[in-house]
Order: sequence, then C-alpha cells, then structure tokens
Amino acid sequence: MTIHNIYIFDHKGGLLYYHEWNRIKQSGMTSEEEAKLMYGMLFSIKSFVNKISPIDTKEGFLYYKTSKYTLHFMETPSRIKFVLNTDNNAQDMRELLQQIYSQVFVEYVVKNPLSKLSEPIQSELFKTKLDAFVKQSPSFLAKPL
Amino acid sequence: MVIYGVYIVSKSGGLIFNHDHNVPKIETEKTFSYPLDIKLANENKKIIVEFGQRDGINVGHILYAINGIPVTGGQLDDGRDAMQVLENKENYPISLRFGRPKMTTNEKIFLASMFYPLFAIASQLSPEPKCSGIEVLEADTFKLHCFQTVTGVKMMVVAERMQAGMDILLKRIYELYADFALKNPFYSLEMPIRCELFDTNLKLVLEQIEKSGITNI
Amino acid sequence: MSRSSSRIDTKKVNSELVTLTYGALVAQMIKDLDNADDVSKQLERLGYNMGIRIVEDFLSKTGSGRCLDLKDTADKVQMAFKMYLGVQPNVANWSAAGDEFSFILDSNPLTELVELPDDLKNLKYCNIICGVLRGALEMVHLDVQSWIVQDQLKGDSNTEIRLKFIRRLEDSIPAGED
Repeated sequence: MTIHNIYIFDHKGGLLYYHEWNRIKQSGMTSEEEAKLMYGMLFSIKSFVNKISPIDTKEGFLYYKTSKYTLHFMETPSRIKFVLNTDNNAQDMRELLQQIYSQVFVEYVVKNPLSKLSEPIQSELFKTKLDAFVKQSPSFLAKPL
Repeated sequence: MVIYGVYIVSKSGGLIFNHDHNVPKIETEKTFSYPLDIKLANENKKIIVEFGQRDGINVGHILYAINGIPVTGGQLDDGRDAMQVLENKENYPISLRFGRPKMTTNEKIFLASMFYPLFAIASQLSPEPKCSGIEVLEADTFKLHCFQTVTGVKMMVVAERMQAGMDILLKRIYELYADFALKNPFYSLEMPIRCELFDTNLKLVLEQIEKSGITNI
Repeated sequence: MSRSSSRIDTKKVNSELVTLTYGALVAQMIKDLDNADDVSKQLERLGYNMGIRIVEDFLSKTGSGRCLDLKDTADKVQMAFKMYLGVQPNVANWSAAGDEFSFILDSNPLTELVELPDDLKNLKYCNIICGVLRGALEMVHLDVQSWIVQDQLKGDSNTEIRLKFIRRLEDSIPAGED
C-alpha cells in the first residue's frame, strides 16, 4: 500500500500545499498548472455529482478510483479542500484526511498567527508534522522503486 | 437495492442512451405565512432555495408551484412574476411546492459531455503510469460505475452505494448494446440509441438484479 | 522539533489574564487612535481576523457540517461561545422572516472588570465579538451583519448581540489564465 501525494486548496482555489511521497509519473506540466487543472477537475466533479445525484447530497463527492490510483477528497465547511492520492488498497483515507485537517492543518497553520491563510504554506513545522503524520499511517508503505 | 440510472456515452463524448430507472421523486408542498422564512434566489431562470431549509424543503430545491399554479422560468403560468407574488403581503397565506430539480434531456447531454474531460484529466493527473480514467466515483448518496470499452464507448451506471455486482451489470449492458443496437442494421454508430428491443431487455436485466441479485443474469 | 504536540491545558490559563490582556489592548488602542469610533472599528477588524481562524478550530474539533438554515447556525455559534468564552448565550428575538436573531449573554467575561469612563460612552468595548462572528461565518460562506444592541457597560441588564443574515456566498470558480 502506498500514499502518493497530497494537495491542499484554500477556499478560493489557490494551492496552499503540495507534497509527494511516491510518485512515479509526473503530469508533464508545471506544478502551478497541475494545481489549476486539479482544482478545475474537482470543481467540475462537485457540480457533476450534485446534478447526477438522485437525492440531496450532504458531503457530496468522496472519492474516485481508476485502474491505478484512488483520489480521496474532503472539503471542510469553510471550503478548504484536501486531496490525497493513494493506491487502490488504502482504507479509511477520509479519516486520515479529517485528522490531517484537525491535528496538523488547524494546529500548525491556522493557529500560527504569522501564516497567511491564502498563501502557500511555508511553515517548516507544518511540513515536518504532516510528513510524520502521513508516514505513520498504516496505508503508507513506500514501494521500492 | 436500487439502481438509479444508466448512461451510455459514445466515443466522441455524446450521450447516446439514458434510462432513468428508479429516481425518487422529491417534492414538498407547504403553506407559508408572511414574511417568508426561506431565502430564495433567482438563478438561471429558476427560483431556488438558497438558505433556511426545513420540513423536507432543502437548499438547492426549486420552486415548482405557487398555490397550485406551476412556475416556469421565474413566472407563474398566468403571467405574474413569481418573486413579486412572494413579496406581496396580500398573497399570504400562500402554498408553495418545492422539489429537487429534475434533469432535462439537455442537462443530461451536458452532464455526459462533462464526464468525458473529467475522465481524461483523472488519467493525466495520475501519479502512476498507464492509468485508466475514472472507474468508480462515490458520493455520499450514490456510486457511479463506469466501464470503457476498448472501442472508447463508456457505459455508466448510477446506483446505491451498497449495490454490488455493478461491473457484471456493465458488461451485460455492453452485450445488450452489441446485440440490440450494433447488430440492428438501422442503427448508425454515434447516434442516440432508439431501439425498443434494447430498452426492454435492459429494463428486464435491471429489474432482475433488483429482485434477485446479480447472480442470475 | 522541540515543540511538543501537547496542547496548552485550558484549565491552567487564567481567564483573567485574557480579560486583562484584552483590556490593556483596548486601552492602548484608545491612546493610539484617540477616537472611540475608530477603536470600535479596529476591534471589529481584529475580531474578524480571529474569526476566520477560530472557525477552523471549531469545525475540526466538532466535526460539524455545513449549515443549511440560520437556526442551525445559531445553535453552532452558541456552542462556540461555550467553547471559547465559557458562557452560554441565549438565542432569542427572532425576526418574523427568520433572518435575524440575538445572542443574549447574562454575563460577559470580557467586561467583568471594566467600567467605561464618561468620555468613552460610545466605545463598543465588545465589538471584537461581532468581528469574530462575521469572520467565522464568512468562512462558511455566510455573509452576515453583527452589532451590539445592549451592553452591560452602558447600564443594560445584559449583553445582546444581534446577527443578521445578508446572503449566501458562492464557491469560487477556478481562476482563468489572466
């Protein structure tokens, strides 16, 4: 099992943070373009889900799965979006996302008075904490390259 | 177990078949007194509930009728403007019917064409090489299963989250497509499927699954 | 990292320290700005900046979802008052259209040790709370107005903070190339 990468978007769609652990294929564009494409896709999926859903949605979109990876999505009521790509065997990833939100993001970004909430996260403390947090997750097992 | 609908999208991204199988109808009628305690907004010529949901009238629902008179494009059928009627105190108490918006055929075509690029982007953003497009997409209210044939036609089934065996159903729909659409000499490729045999056989399969599970098809 | 993840124990932080800090801040602002109205405005802004952060803490701890009507919002804000200020306000005085209501605080920890001098009678000492409400709710896409109706510092029997729903804000669409 493995966790590939994480994207965090602010409520305006700006990329707050990106990190990758085991990523074999790059998309072939700059990280800025890639983030825009990712946000655009999520935005469309959300609207797609709302329209195609037969009954009223609450949380809406949760994840999608392709032949090689699963994209897990969590959006807070304040519309901060967390995206985690894993392989198809990873379990309980929404729980992990919720924990990343409450135990890492809120603690080390929101409560850090010097961090601006709409600019990419620079805090080293956040980076180390997040890295440690993801690595201790049972789904994180680096594949030998 | 419920299957909500089946969609087939052609190689070029056009919706060529759609069947709403078991879509629940969500509508609520309620009498209100002045002032109206639900916030409404006029959006794309529809009056939608913006905030203040209650009694089964949810945010995102649209206003279908005032005192039994249907509302279309922000207007009552007798020509009055719906918002103005709602603002006038003299019209109260007033009976309003709200419901979850139903998709029109045009919206379905639009939606199907929207899935096409999403499918491609998902594969482009893959962290692993040689990745397919979206195969399963889950939301809190449904699960969408997608099967792409080698020739590029996409079959999609929207079902309840717990409904099992949808991959088998998708293959079965593919067979039906081959049998009753492609083998029909009067069906031309890429065009909407209007074949009665296809319809009846598909319905049969869907009903069978709901009754007796996936094993019997 | 030397900083441990052990959180500050809320029981150990003296609430009077908070009250004193706030009082000192307001007093200093009055010296600097020399105008009660400007100070009120600044306090509201200060609150706003706190609100847009504190809301994340609230959401992540309570795990609550998006509000779909104002009564729901009122309940959640009431809970937040309890969490952060240690007082439970009453929700009252709903307008007929259900888009306006008040929080009524019998006791207000911010003002317990405060007496307003005569020349500052128009200072909105607790305006920071209005700012917090506005900031926090803006982050969950609710545009609201908030103001103080009754103030214990001005001889009223309790503190009443009014909240009015203006509109719902929309999700931002993806940015274009320009």
